Amino acid sequence: MLNKQLETRQRFNVRMVCFFAATPVFLGLLLFQIMQLQWFEHEKYQLQADQNRLNIIPLLPVRGEIIDAQGKGLAINHIDYRVTLIPERVKDLDATLHTLAQALHWTDDKVRLLHKRIKHTRPDRSVLLDDKLKWSDVSPLSARLHHYPGINVEAGSYRQYPFAELTSHIIGYLSLANAGDVDDGFLPSEFIGRTGIEKSFETSLHGHLGHQREEVDALGRRIAVINSKPPIMGETIQLALDTDIQQAASDALGERTGAVVVMDVHSGGVIALLSKPGYDTNRFITGLESAQWQSWLNNPEKPLLNRATQAAYPPASTFKLVTGLAGLDHGSHLAEGSSFCPGYIEFSDRKLHCWKRRGHDSVNLHKALVESCDVYFYQLADQLGMGIISDTAQAWGLGEKTQIDLAPESRGIIPAQSPYMMAAIKNTQSRRKKWFRGETMITGIGQGALTTTPLQIARLAAAIANGGSILKPQVLAHIPAEVLHQVKVKPEHLQMIRSAMRDVVLSNKGTAHRALNKAVWTSAGKTGTAQVIKLSKNKSIDKDILRHHKDHAWFMGYAPYENPQIAIAVFVEHGGHGGSDAAPVAAAVIQAMATKQARASDAQVNNKPLIRKPGSDS
Amino acid sequence: MKRALCSLDWILLASLLSLAALGLCVLYAAVYQGDMGLWQKQLIFWGAGMTGFLILCFVPLRFLGLVSWPMYSIGLLLLMLIPLIGDVHMGARRWLDIGFTNLQPSEIMKWAMMFVLASWFATREARGFVNIGTPLLLVAVPAALILSQPDLGTTLVLLFATVALLIAAGLPWRIFAAALVLGIASLPVLWHFMHDYQKQRVLTLLDPQSDPLGAGYHVIQSSIAIGSGGLFGKGFLQGTQARLHFLPEQHTDFIFSVLAEEGGLIAVILLLGLYATLISRILLIAQRAHSRFASMLCIGIASIFTLYITVNIGMVSGIFPVVGLPLPFISYGGSALVTMLAALGLVMRVAIESYEKIPWQRPGSPLA
Repeated sequence: MLNKQLETRQRFNVRMVCFFAATPVFLGLLLFQIMQLQWFEHEKYQLQADQNRLNIIPLLPVRGEIIDAQGKGLAINHIDYRVTLIPERVKDLDATLHTLAQALHWTDDKVRLLHKRIKHTRPDRSVLLDDKLKWSDVSPLSARLHHYPGINVEAGSYRQYPFAELTSHIIGYLSLANAGDVDDGFLPSEFIGRTGIEKSFETSLHGHLGHQREEVDALGRRIAVINSKPPIMGETIQLALDTDIQQAASDALGERTGAVVVMDVHSGGVIALLSKPGYDTNRFITGLESAQWQSWLNNPEKPLLNRATQAAYPPASTFKLVTGLAGLDHGSHLAEGSSFCPGYIEFSDRKLHCWKRRGHDSVNLHKALVESCDVYFYQLADQLGMGIISDTAQAWGLGEKTQIDLAPESRGIIPAQSPYMMAAIKNTQSRRKKWFRGETMITGIGQGALTTTPLQIARLAAAIANGGSILKPQVLAHIPAEVLHQVKVKPEHLQMIRSAMRDVVLSNKGTAHRALNKAVWTSAGKTGTAQVIKLSKNKSIDKDILRHHKDHAWFMGYAPYENPQIAIAVFVEHGGHGGSDAAPVAAAVIQAMATKQARASDAQVNNKPLIRKPGSDS
Repeated sequence: MKRALCSLDWILLASLLSLAALGLCVLYAAVYQGDMGLWQKQLIFWGAGMTGFLILCFVPLRFLGLVSWPMYSIGLLLLMLIPLIGDVHMGARRWLDIGFTNLQPSEIMKWAMMFVLASWFATREARGFVNIGTPLLLVAVPAALILSQPDLGTTLVLLFATVALLIAAGLPWRIFAAALVLGIASLPVLWHFMHDYQKQRVLTLLDPQSDPLGAGYHVIQSSIAIGSGGLFGKGFLQGTQARLHFLPEQHTDFIFSVLAEEGGLIAVILLLGLYATLISRILLIAQRAHSRFASMLCIGIASIFTLYITVNIGMVSGIFPVVGLPLPFISYGGSALVTMLAALGLVMRVAIESYEKIPWQRPGSPLA
């Protein structure tokens, strides 16, 4: 018995030793694991803890503004207010929404929609209730904000175009960053310039992102701001554009489709660049509906097209200036002598008509330009040949991009530039693509395959006025003139052309006489009427002609004649006649310019008495 | 009185009071950004628990022998009542509403079971079919009932303590080894009977990143908290994981990660050192106890503490699946704290009685 007890006690002692040994095994296992985490993998977990607690919030920069030459805002930033709600901090949702609905004039439908939106949002995330609010809307609310826990009033800024339709093509529009932009490092909530100045000067206008490092808790609530780098606002850009002139051109054009370009003849500054119809670029900021976009895309008047730079049309009779310059430059006896216009020209088995069926009798270059005789220029072009005409047109800046900072830009077409046409001109024996003599002739009066943009024509007018400097059109203000190339033209030849252009306005028979002779500034110019389809048979039924078969009307010129300041190109799509439909628009622009300058000099004179003597006023 | 003071195990008491101080500091940090009232409540629980501890120091052990069987019977009865009238709370039917408070019968059963087993093995060795089979049957019935609640944690505690007592009572090693092999072999069967959430916890343990915001979230976040603490910790109240509420249940089951984050490896070693002292002290008392019943009791209590500590820290640091066992003396919670202090009171009573009855075995005696 005692033996048994001793045996039991011994066995118990052995088991106790096992327990004493087991305890450090258990605790050692734990210690090993903890050391693994805290010692060997510490850095990895430290990083993860920081990732947990730190949140980097990007701070969006305010976009630079775009102002016109007078400092008027064309693309500005409008401060607005938005009301947000954090569901979990709201005590009585129904009552709060009811109060807000009354203060912000919400409809019942909107309240119901918000209810639904709140229900589907995480309770700790803020829900946008209303935005684009004015201070007057939110000020009564924000004063009593402490009564409504969970409600926030935040200020933000959005782009606004005060002259949206008037400047839609030159200013352009913005839209939210797409997938490609996000790959380039933009945030999905950033607006990016898509067309016009907004696109060309995107890097200057955009500004630089700032950021804020915040400590957040497990629910993503902000606990503290650790540091922040404020965003840098984009640069403000001043344009050479003058909104008043642009407005005058637009008013003169009315509801018609077309384009007007006004350029400073010396600096190349773009004073007006209008394309009609315009479109409301503000719609892109508020979130463009697909239906609206589709209606713009499908509109036969193509409002999205910038007709001043992106569309090329036959320059019609305005091109006669180039043909004339080519003739003078190449010492054509026809350019220096005279010809006879019976109202038509016959060659091979074909007959080309002058616009004036009765003919112009005896015509020299001067008369042919003033009265826009077609036959004279058919003959001149026939003499010169396509090569010389192309070279001259190119020298005067046609058929090439003007390099204006408004991409994309059309270069227009000069027949000899196109490779297949070049081949056709050189190898007239080629059966398939034969270049006919008649084609050179109609090119001479600006018809046929030849096309130019209104901006190119304005620049041509500026070059004639300034002595042959082909300028880069400058959209920005205060930029020194950039002469892309200088046309080698004899001053006496240029003077002949100028005086002919002067007589277009001055002479009783001049095509722009009625529109411009009585304008405040003397001017010189050339009209053009581009045939859209052949209407030789019955010109008398003008009014019945379908709108889209009507001719394009052109006017190009400069003013004042003696001391040129501005060059103008007016293009009216399916507008009718250059003299009667396009020239009056130029007259309106000149009127606006003159008025503006008169007012400016008046202001200078009147400013002096305004200086008050000290003490004369309390 | 002087005799009573001499007979107290001062090392046990010192490590307990150190744990109390450490636990209250950690709990302060855990609830600092939340409900500070919990900290004050825990202070009250400590007061109540220590009172219980002191009372039990003066209750003779033989008294325990008297109440163990009735306690077991009542516990079993209440457990059987639970499926009928129990309260469902967080998906498990564990509680009985007894008017002024909620009672968790499995908590009573855990201690009653230990008393019963201790008294069974007080006079027997774990050898022979009847001597082993009877206590296994006594455990199997309540264990099955508790597992079906479901309460895996308490079931584990029950089984672990039983195994510890069987080993202490001289269970032949070959039976232990056979049972171990059988147990491992039956794991797939156990898997089959596990609840979905329990399976999910096991899967999450194997690969926490498979569901980082769902079931794996707790383990990932507590690992981050522990790991980012480093050797010296982030400083008192400076733990970002704790302060910003990334830690789940940071004042109860996951409180260890608060300690590890703010105190670093130093604090972890301090805590594990205190636990090692406490457990080895209980085992020492078990060895020196005058009666086999007292030894068994102490071994059972030591095994429960060891399991709590291992499972809790193992769970928080990603060794074991998430099983809801508190960290002794550190986690917030009144009933767990009070029962653990009561258990330590019993251990202290064993120390006192050993000192009284076997003076030559008293600590510090040259004869020891």
